[in-house]
Amino acid sequence: MKRCTIIGKTNVGKTLFLINFAEYLGVKLFNIELINKDSKKILYKINSKNAISRLVNEQPHKTRCVQAIEVNIPVGKGKKKIRLIDTTGFIDGIHPEVEIRKAISQTLTIIRDSDIILHIIDASTVYHKDLPSSLGEVDYQIAQFAQLKRGYVILANKMDLLGAEKGFLKIKEEFSGNLILPVSALYKRGFKEVKIFVAHNI
Amino acid sequence: MFDKENNEISNSIQINEMLVRGMITPVEALTLFIEIDSQKKSFNKKISEEENLEEVMKELDELVGLSKVKYLVKEIRAFTEIQKRRHEEKLLAEPQVLHMIFKGNPGTGKTTVARLLGKMFGHMRILQKGHTVEVERADLVGEYIGHTAQKTRDQIRRALGGILFVDEAYSLGRGGEKDFGKEAIDTLVKAMEDHKDNLIVILAGYKDEMDWFLQINPGLRSRFPIQIEFNDYSVKELMKIAKMMVEKRQYQFNPDALLLFETLLQNSKKDIFYDKLGNARLVRNMIEKALRRQALRLVKQKNISREDLLQICPEDISEVKVN
Repeated sequence: MKRCTIIGKTNVGKTLFLINFAEYLGVKLFNIELINKDSKKILYKINSKNAISRLVNEQPHKTRCVQAIEVNIPVGKGKKKIRLIDTTGFIDGIHPEVEIRKAISQTLTIIRDSDIILHIIDASTVYHKDLPSSLGEVDYQIAQFAQLKRGYVILANKMDLLGAEKGFLKIKEEFSGNLILPVSALYKRGFKEVKIFVAHNI
Repeated sequence: MFDKENNEISNSIQINEMLVRGMITPVEALTLFIEIDSQKKSFNKKISEEENLEEVMKELDELVGLSKVKYLVKEIRAFTEIQKRRHEEKLLAEPQVLHMIFKGNPGTGKTTVARLLGKMFGHMRILQKGHTVEVERADLVGEYIGHTAQKTRDQIRRALGGILFVDEAYSLGRGGEKDFGKEAIDTLVKAMEDHKDNLIVILAGYKDEMDWFLQINPGLRSRFPIQIEFNDYSVKELMKIAKMMVEKRQYQFNPDALLLFETLLQNSKKDIFYDKLGNARLVRNMIEKALRRQALRLVKQKNISREDLLQICPEDISEVKVN
């Protein structure tokens, strides 16, 4: 099964994108597989509303381990199952908590084995340098790393917010040569293009 | 503090450990992963390219005769290898000019060799793509003033990163001073200089005509440092080619047919127009005709055995005429 990993800095909306994108693809009841830092798997079922309230938070580093779900992507006349993996957010510096550092290391291992990488950047905070989710050195490094892979796309998220349009243009300028799609994980906008991209690369 | 030069980090486990211990930032970890992965990727690419190159070399070696071409390819391959080593040692490594002139009668393997060279240079990274664009006078020369340069440039653009193979190139010199062929030659020469790192031009044609062509365009000779003559195949070589062609198509000559085939080829050698008959192409045409005749013979037959399907008999060949 092909693996599609969602990565990006902390607080850019990776988990919300996972839940809403999965819902967009027709998932009603989420069978979430949690892989904790000791590589142990925990399975649990949850519906999308509860998933958002339980897993999504405005505080950075809400996601502290890898969580994955299986979804069907329509390809041609049939469907293909892929594994959608949500990861812990990156930061530019060294995080003081060892648990987060472990989770980041786990993320790095996972993206090296992924077939498709969805790199989320917060378009609304591109010009706010001091926020944890704003565009940083790690984003450039991710782009360079992921270019070695075939299926790499940058998702400029939070397009519904003020200033995101300007941020999107800046992202386009900074990461020219890469495919960049504007999305709003909250309002499920731009998901069609993401679906087409994923279907094309599996 | 993380110091890249003092730490030899070879595997991903080490990188992850350093990340967990807080010795490096995620950015630094990613940089290291990029290094490891791109090294791995270029190593794999190199291996697959070498395999492909070996395959093309094998294909070239399987061609009958053509010892001069094979020798030239060995020379170029060795030269590229040495240039690479020189580059690694930070010595000056200049690329060579590889524009060529192929002289020879039809069917002596000029086009086949050009295609193989394209592929080979592609794998050797001498050319970016390694494709071959085959053109003739009509593709280069236009109908009105200014049309020719445009047409020629279009073909050159198609050939960038590969080989531009101009068949019957001497025809560009025909028609005297006012002919547009001259304009095509000038445009070609300019492109050869402009794109000398990414385009190889091969001019091909009959030996005598090409010699005449070079005589009336003296500037061309120095621009095409490699000149190869493709000699006519001997009957022995043609028989070898015939056997290979037949085997490739999963047929067999029976001994009588083989003898007859050889006699026919020997007779054709005496023909006054032999040089225009097409050497290996003549053999191919003769075989293809024989296969059609065999099919016609078998269709009339009631019981057809596997052996029948394989065998080419003298009656299939007897009427193959050199025309």
